[in-house]
Parts: sequence; structure tokens; C-alpha cells
Amino acid sequence: MKLVIGYLYGDLMNIYGDTGNIIALKKRAQWRGIEVVVKNISLGDKLYTSDVSSKPDIYFFGGGQDQQQELVSRDLVLSIKGKVIKQEVEKGVPLLSVCGGYQLLGEYYKPHKGPKLPGIGLFPTYTVASFDRMIGNIVIESQFGKLVGFENHSGKTHLKKGALPFGMVLKGFGNNGADKTEGCMYKNAIGCYMHGSLLPKNPKLADWLLRKALETKYGKEIELESLDDSLELQAHQKALARFS
Amino acid sequence: MRLSAAILLGKIIAKIIHLLKIGGGSAAPGLFALKLDPDLVIKLSAKIPQNIIITGTNGKTTTARMIALFAKANGLKVIRNHTGSNLERGIASTLIHHTSLGLNVINTGGWLDRNLGVWELDEAAFNSVTPKIKPNIVVFLNVFRDQLDRYGEVDSVVKKWCNTLKSLTPQTVVLLNGDDANTAKLAHCFEGKVVTFGVKDYKLVGESLEKKPSNKKLDFEAKNVILNGLKGSTFQLSFNHKSHTIHLPLPGIYHIYDALAAITCATHFSDIPINRLSDYLINFQPAFGRVEKLPFGFIFLIKNPAGATQVFETIAPQIKPNDRLLLALNDNLADGTDVSWIWDANFEVLLQNLSRAKSRDLSLYVSGTRTYDLANRLKYAGFDSHNIMVESDLKKALRQARDGLKGKLFILPTYTAMLELQGILAHSGLKKHYWEES
Repeated sequence: MKLVIGYLYGDLMNIYGDTGNIIALKKRAQWRGIEVVVKNISLGDKLYTSDVSSKPDIYFFGGGQDQQQELVSRDLVLSIKGKVIKQEVEKGVPLLSVCGGYQLLGEYYKPHKGPKLPGIGLFPTYTVASFDRMIGNIVIESQFGKLVGFENHSGKTHLKKGALPFGMVLKGFGNNGADKTEGCMYKNAIGCYMHGSLLPKNPKLADWLLRKALETKYGKEIELESLDDSLELQAHQKALARFS
Repeated sequence: MRLSAAILLGKIIAKIIHLLKIGGGSAAPGLFALKLDPDLVIKLSAKIPQNIIITGTNGKTTTARMIALFAKANGLKVIRNHTGSNLERGIASTLIHHTSLGLNVINTGGWLDRNLGVWELDEAAFNSVTPKIKPNIVVFLNVFRDQLDRYGEVDSVVKKWCNTLKSLTPQTVVLLNGDDANTAKLAHCFEGKVVTFGVKDYKLVGESLEKKPSNKKLDFEAKNVILNGLKGSTFQLSFNHKSHTIHLPLPGIYHIYDALAAITCATHFSDIPINRLSDYLINFQPAFGRVEKLPFGFIFLIKNPAGATQVFETIAPQIKPNDRLLLALNDNLADGTDVSWIWDANFEVLLQNLSRAKSRDLSLYVSGTRTYDLANRLKYAGFDSHNIMVESDLKKALRQARDGLKGKLFILPTYTAMLELQGILAHSGLKKHYWEES
């Protein structure tokens, strides 16, 4: 089996150690004998060409600095990339987005000054800049069990009616520090504020993304070979014990 | 009057800390004295004829130490915040410590007998403290992603530096690392004299140094660099169409930048000839924990992705079959509470560049408050998880790592783990307390 990981704007949107998510997906696939290609998709690039083997089976979209985020927002909306990502998610292709990436996949981001940055509206959410810095370790309860990470954002994200939160905050701020929700989920796409990096310490979630990617690609149910996750689970447990 | 009272309070607190042996007293005296007189740093630093400020993500302490070495060798009396306490309170503490309160203190606010102030300031404190010190020279070493929870993003750090530079008098001299695009562009923010330093054909790309032929113009340039493993490096320093051979007893290309900054600086506060500076450098000893030689190995401080990667690149080819590695990751405030950065640090280099190609069997000891995060990082970098020994208690981890050690132990701690380690080493008689070091 083979997996192509599409790293959306990996050269611009990669602060806060989000690359750790790519490393985790790649290693956990390789340890199971699955061939992995990581493809950086940047400004002006196409998501995939007529060569079907280069088509990403899973997407990752991290956070960036303000200036980069503006460039990326424009590229996502003006090129057809945003539209194609939405089509892919409709087909079941999994996606993980964190912080800035998550914000740009919502309907819009309203900065302190200047006009709204339009998003692609994959998630029924919108984000408004605030003067509160929501920073610290975060623990949430989700369909994947408890998850641990580190959040650092000042944008407050609000879920519109009918939007499904990724999880509920047990410790920390989450989407907006008020309604206890964290992140958003649509089909197999996830948006959240959890750095840390998220996937290495939450291997269950990493494996769910891999499984969904393979199932969508090969059109059948897939059971992933189990791995020795003792170090990962201890990191997870320690973080839970310390922070929740 | 207020100043004298603040100094007195600071001195009393320092005395209490000393008597109770609860640390080096590098922050608390300044912290409380500043509450009494918020202008203390302005008033006391004005008593020093020349002041130098050093900022940047990596290399501040090493550079400051080199500058102090040059100045002292030239007969200058130096004052500096030398325990890595690089916020305003650290500077206030140092100033208080060196100020004598005479009989007519009420009018003078004390007596400060120093010729040169060498101040290291962290990325954020730079903006608030620099206008108070009104420095003669400002040195910008580099800027990397570091403790985003405290400093914010690189772009915003540079923007704030730029604004601070605009507020300085044009008599100030600004020294810039010309190989770091972020510091190089600060030249546009300043009206006065700007001097650049760097290494020929090297450029910072993202967070790593890359070698590429280029025609860039640097005022102080290192050429023909020869790296001699852990022993250090040799290079030709060229400026004003002259060339000088420099031997640097510190390993890795990144330390060459510190030496360049210090030499460039020395030529601006004194008229010591370069060949004399070069002689002084041969005996240079870095500050505790930065690159420290121990009877049984080495300590290399790691604190952010760029710095850690540079350490990995430097030590990996030097690790021999019997050597071991002890890494300690803490998430205290001074380390940064967000440990995500370990995923941006290139631990893979540690494995790929090992002198024994692809030897996944290197013994790794992992410790600190975030032991398991670090253990996972090493596992995902490709090390065999069976060779990763996990012990969150640093004292125990050190004992295990030294037990049966046949080669050298390379210890890579984050900042507070390094301080803890210094305590453990001092306690076991292996070295002095760090605040007793010069």
C-alpha cells in the first residue's frame, strides 16, 4: 500500500512544531510497511496533476505567522485549491488542520484591523481576532477518547448552528474560551487548536486518520496492524495526569 | 533618595538570599528594587561610560563573555549580567550589586566604578530596556523561533526591534549578523552607523546554516573556515582589506558568529589590535552549560529548534561507540511551557550523522519534566525505542547514564534542566556552584 500526504503550505505554515504531525503519520505508516510520500503544496501549486499517483490521500494544514496566513488565504480562495479540498473531503479524504490552518478552512477570519480574510467554508465556523492570548496545555474529551495538546492563539472561533465540535474542553480554552467546545469536525476532516505536537502523543487519532485515508483510497475496510505504543501512551498518560 | 533606598533594599535582599543559600540572587534584588524606583536602570547605567547591548535568540551569553574577556584584558572594568538573567530585573540586580553606597548616598545614589557595561537582553526585554540604557553599541546575533509562548512570532520580534532601533540616537553603532536575513534587514531601521559580520558563503535558510557561493558584502567576514570537531575551528577574519587568523576553541560553525560579533564589537569600544584579540580567544571558556567540558563528558545547552539542531550537527560526527547521550527536557517558564519545539528540532541529524553510520543502538538516557515527549521525539527520529532509557528524575538519570560508562557522556539539557544539573554536579563535588563561576 502507498500513501501520499499533502502538506498544505508546509513551507509557510509550520510554526509550533506542527511538522511533528507529519512525522507521526509518516512513521506510523512506514512501521506498517506502507510506502509514504510527503508532498508540500505551496502558493501557486496544484493539489495534484493528471498523474493520479500524486494525488494526496490525506491532508495536513498547520499554523503560520500573520503575514504568511494572509498570502495563504488569498491563494486558497483565488486558486481552485480550496474548492478541490472541499470536494476531496466530501469523498471521505481525511484532513487535519491546526490553528491558522483550521481558521482558514472556516468561513472567515476577522483580524483586528482591515477586512475579513475569507476562508473556504469547509467548516461552518468563523474566527474573530481578540486581545486575549489563549495559551497553555489543553485536554479535551473527544470521540477518540481524551486528547492532549498545547494551544496558543488569540483568534476566537465560533461554531455555527449544526457544526460538530471536535471535542469538549476539560482543561484549557478551546475554540473561544467560553463555550467549552474545541475544534470542529466535518466528515473525516478535523480542525483544532491543538499543537504539542498533537499526533505523536495521541496515536489513536493518528491511526484513525491513516485508516480513513487507506479506506477511502482503496475502497474497502482496513484494519491497521497494531504497534508498540508504550512510549506514546505514557507521554499521553503523563500529560493527562499533569494537566487535567 | 528614592534610588538610594531602592539600592539599599536590593542589597538587603541579596544579602538574605546569600545567607540563606537559596540561589545566586540574580533576579529578586532587582525585582523588588525596581518597585521602589522604576528608573533605577536608567539612573545607574548612566554612571557607566560605555554600554553594549547584545540580543538575539542564540549565542548571547557566549558573545557577552568574549566581549568581557577582551575588555578585561585591555584593562577595562566590566559590569555584566552574567548568570543568563537577561530581563530588566537581572540587570537591575547586577547594577545594585556593583554600586557602593557611600556616606553622601542621599544625593548621589551610590558610586559605580565600572568602565564598560555588557548587557545581554532577551528578544522581548530588548525593547523595554534598551532605551533606558542608551547603549553605545547594539549587537544583533540572530533570530529564530524560540518560546513562542513568550516572544511571539519571528516577524513580530523583528518588527519591534526595528521600532526600538528607530528610537536610538544616531551616535549608537549597530552590529548586525549579515547572514541572517531577519537581522540584516534591520539596517533599514537605523540612521546611524551599521556594521555587518558573517561567514563567507554561508547563509541562514529557515533555521539552518547553508553553504552557498554568494557575493554578499560583509564588513567583518570569516573565510576559509576549518572545523576541528569538538576542539574548535580556525578561520581567516577579513576586514578593511586585511586578514587575520583566528583560532576559536569552541566547536561548530554557530560559535564563529559569536566570535565575529565579539571581535567586531571590541574594535568599536577599544583599539586592541585583532591579533591580540585572537590570542585572548585561545583561552576562552564558555559559560556554564553552553558548551562545558566535564571530567566524564560534555554539556551542550539546547533550548530551541535552531540551537538544538546546531548542537546535533556539531556533536553527531564526534560520538564514538562507547559514548552515551543524556537529554533532558523541562517545560518550566524559563524553558518555554510549550514543548512543541522539539518536533521542529532536527533530531534526525543526530542519527544520520553519527560517526557509526546508522547505528541505532546508541544508548540514550532521557529525563526532565517532559521525559516522555522527548523519548517519543527520539523514537520518531528513528532511534530504537529499546535503547531509550527513561527516567524523569535527573539525578537518577545522570547516575544511570554514568554507571558503567566507558566512553564520554554528552549531556543535552534545556535551560532549567541545565541549572538543575549544575546543582547536582556541584553537590557531588564534580564542580563549583554556577553562581560562583566568573
